[in-house]
Amino acid sequence: MSQKEAQNMQLIQELEIEMMADMYNRLTAACHKKCVPPVYSDSEIAKGEAVCIDRCVAKFLDIHERIGKKLGQLSMQDEALLKK
Amino acid sequence: MSTQQETMPGAQEKRQFTHEEWSYLTRYFVGNNYRYRENIIIPKTLGPVQIKTNEEKMVEGFFESCFFKSLMSCVVGNMGPASVSDTEQTARQVFKEMKTTTLGYAKNFALIGALFSGIECTIESARGKSDWKNGTYAGAVTGGLIGLRAGVKAGIFGAAGFAAFSTAIDYYMRSRF
Repeated sequence: MSQKEAQNMQLIQELEIEMMADMYNRLTAACHKKCVPPVYSDSEIAKGEAVCIDRCVAKFLDIHERIGKKLGQLSMQDEALLKK
Repeated sequence: MSTQQETMPGAQEKRQFTHEEWSYLTRYFVGNNYRYRENIIIPKTLGPVQIKTNEEKMVEGFFESCFFKSLMSCVVGNMGPASVSDTEQTARQVFKEMKTTTLGYAKNFALIGALFSGIECTIESARGKSDWKNGTYAGAVTGGLIGLRAGVKAGIFGAAGFAAFSTAIDYYMRSRF
């Protein structure tokens, strides 16, 4: 059984890494689109843009966590229904 | 790598990661590492790209804050006009008069500068955008505050005038339009 468990663990780890990388890519794409204007002349991040990026990342991670919890709840409900 | 082959449950040639490889991957994606750009080095104005440490970020955060910006404007405003006056070559009575007037002028200038800078920084932080409107709004608020001492109408004119002046200066200095 331990070999199956080990394979499960590896699968879970791989999915976790994939999820993290995907979330990072989406986060940077969304916040860049929202906060950085398409035409700019200064390469340094201005104060307004820095504040906007802080807020964008905080909101993204908060929503990600909440939706994850809700999804977990829903999947648990589905599992309970299936068992009946 | 191995992702394409592991989706089929009966695949023959599966590449198994060792425990060390998994840990390395996890730390690489999720951990708090220093990452160096090995493929492309885009030099800034001086030297290569460096990732900043936490202490450096805190220090830079203080130097970019609104309070420090208004402090700097106050200091620079005090230095500017006061350095123009030549207080060492005139007679004593004229010298004393000039000293008081130039000091008063310099303090006024420094106060206006600090106020404007602090207000612009606050507006930019509140809006979350960096464009030319921040200077205009900050100029309007500062002009209104200064002009309000002489009445409402003077306040409105001061606001409009200062906003226009600030927009013109921004356009000239940084072409932010």
